Amino acid sequence: MTGQSVRRLYSIVRDLHLYSGLFISPLVLVFAVSVFFLVHAWIPGSSAAPAKRTAGDLPIPAGVELLTGRAQVAALRGVLDRLGVKGEVGVLRRIAKEHRLVIAVIIPGREVSVDLNLETRSAEVTERATGIGSAITYLHKMPGQHLANLRGNWGYMRFWRWLADGTVYVVMFLTLSGVYLWAVLRAERRVGLALIAAGAFSFFGSLYALVH
Amino acid sequence: MISRAPESRRWAALFSTWNRKAHYYLGLYFLFFLWLFSLSGLLLNHSSWAFAQFFPNRKISKIEGPIQFPLSGSDLDKARAVMRQFGIEGEIGWGATRDAAARLEFNVTRPGRVYQVQTDLKENRATVTLNEYNAWGVLRGMHTFVGVSPDDPRNRRDWILTTIWAMSMDAVAAGVLVLVLSGVYLWWNRREKRAAGLIALALGTVVCGLFIVGLRWVYG
Repeated sequence: MTGQSVRRLYSIVRDLHLYSGLFISPLVLVFAVSVFFLVHAWIPGSSAAPAKRTAGDLPIPAGVELLTGRAQVAALRGVLDRLGVKGEVGVLRRIAKEHRLVIAVIIPGREVSVDLNLETRSAEVTERATGIGSAITYLHKMPGQHLANLRGNWGYMRFWRWLADGTVYVVMFLTLSGVYLWAVLRAERRVGLALIAAGAFSFFGSLYALVH
Repeated sequence: MISRAPESRRWAALFSTWNRKAHYYLGLYFLFFLWLFSLSGLLLNHSSWAFAQFFPNRKISKIEGPIQFPLSGSDLDKARAVMRQFGIEGEIGWGATRDAAARLEFNVTRPGRVYQVQTDLKENRATVTLNEYNAWGVLRGMHTFVGVSPDDPRNRRDWILTTIWAMSMDAVAAGVLVLVLSGVYLWWNRREKRAAGLIALALGTVVCGLFIVGLRWVYG
């Protein structure tokens, strides 16, 4: 590579590092701040008192309690729309003896529990605002490793899945391009190498201690 | 009054230099941690990826034997006594409820390994089932290994290494915050990049804001 093409590559990598870093920074902040809440099992912001309401004469599809996963969510979407409940269906719990289905529907920062009585075709809806702390903690964990067959049943949460993946890919690019941008700076090489070594020592030391 | 402007400029230049250094240095120090949390985050979000399966490939083994419980003490003391006698180390996890007075059941977890412990306090016996996971399981375990959960007040961190790892997670998160803020400052000082950078930052903020407050506002 000629000196000119090296300079051009450096300039391109630096601009990509800058702009992709700026774009992704709010998302990275969401993931970083929520770490404190998850690590300390403490979510700030008081949740308001839940609001309850009931509704009847609901268009409950026959046999909906026998379905599972996405198919069940799709079948219930009409009922939720009638109740004015939007969001990602988090958990579906069937209480067979009482002919009930309890559905947790979540929008980041708000939780709705729909207690559906399949016999009387009625529902008790409990809404609760949970705040920004809860919203970012929820987003951090989504889509997550559990209930894979259910996750992403709301369009926005499918979009979030792409964003969460995108954040990872951009962070990987930022770290690699950051290493390249640092390596070009001769004056910083010695300190930088010492820091990489110190980081590697802490990382592999922790890994070894935890696993063995 | 005359010397104030150069003084403040000197401080600004010093801050600028150290801000740039902090950006490089923190990024380099946390490099491996950032790769771990990025990669494991991706794996957690794609639990169906065939190459990274760990649960179906786990190794299971069982040990059974007599144990001696302390005459008095809490469930935690009894659990620790069992762990000592079986040579187990890790974070204790309790179930939601205590099923029966004569039985004490708990899990002991560390990344890549879960011990399911069932004890009979009357018979003074214990059964330990060990689940060992592969490297993918270890990676996922590292991401979520904090010993506590906001939804589960019964569990508290009780292993020193969990505490140290939790502190490492705090440090990485704090380091990332500084990386982001120092990066924004670096960009702001490059006047020729301000306009395009502002568009990138605004775009990211709008997308992120949609999820944090926007959806609740539209559908709440």
